[in-house]
Amino acid sequence: MKELLEYLARALVDHPDEVVVEEFDDDDGTLVLELSVGEGDYGKVIGRGGRTANALRTVVKGAAVKENRRVLVDIVE
Amino acid sequence: MADGTPAEQLAELLELVVEAYGLEAEVSIEDDGETLRGVVDGDDLGLVIGRHGQTIDALEHLATRIAFPEGKRDRYVEVDAGGYRERRADALEEQADEAVSEAISSGQPVQLDPMSSSERRLVHEYLRDSAEVETYSEGEEPKRRLIVAPASKE
Repeated sequence: MKELLEYLARALVDHPDEVVVEEFDDDDGTLVLELSVGEGDYGKVIGRGGRTANALRTVVKGAAVKENRRVLVDIVE
Repeated sequence: MADGTPAEQLAELLELVVEAYGLEAEVSIEDDGETLRGVVDGDDLGLVIGRHGQTIDALEHLATRIAFPEGKRDRYVEVDAGGYRERRADALEEQADEAVSEAISSGQPVQLDPMSSSERRLVHEYLRDSAEVETYSEGEEPKRRLIVAPASKE
């Protein structure tokens, strides 16, 4: 799931080398993926009205189904 | 920023999703000059489609952004899986026909459910030649809706 998010984020932004995804488990077993991108690239992963961010969450969640997990995608600055 | 042509980027994106979703499916790309279409074929494609087509619409949005960075789009991007778009088109045309009857009998505009820009375009095109109604969109994404209104008499 981390790889999928990294791939999508890198494909969306102008500076793929600045994409970082940190992965950790929440207390309740939720997988948390924290995405950060280069300063000027937040608009690219968030999109108008948060549409791209929502699409990223939806697509990454599909990959969590197979592993029977909850996943949370957090965009952090 | 992804490397490669839009078609290569679309194929790569869909292949990666198929793999991440643990599916046995084939990805193919069609390009008729107007629409760049990525098609996923295989069994059990429910995950790729998602509830109310949420996942396939999200994929289509990401694919559009990835294949054609801002302002550079010269084709529509469509993502299809297991014949979903055709089934959806049939359902949308049925809804459109119902909305037309209602708009004509009531003389009032009829709102359709919120739908993606490609689905709004489909209904808009479907009703374009109708002399009895006109269509337009209202509201903000993702709640933007198509309105079917009785044609204004000129």
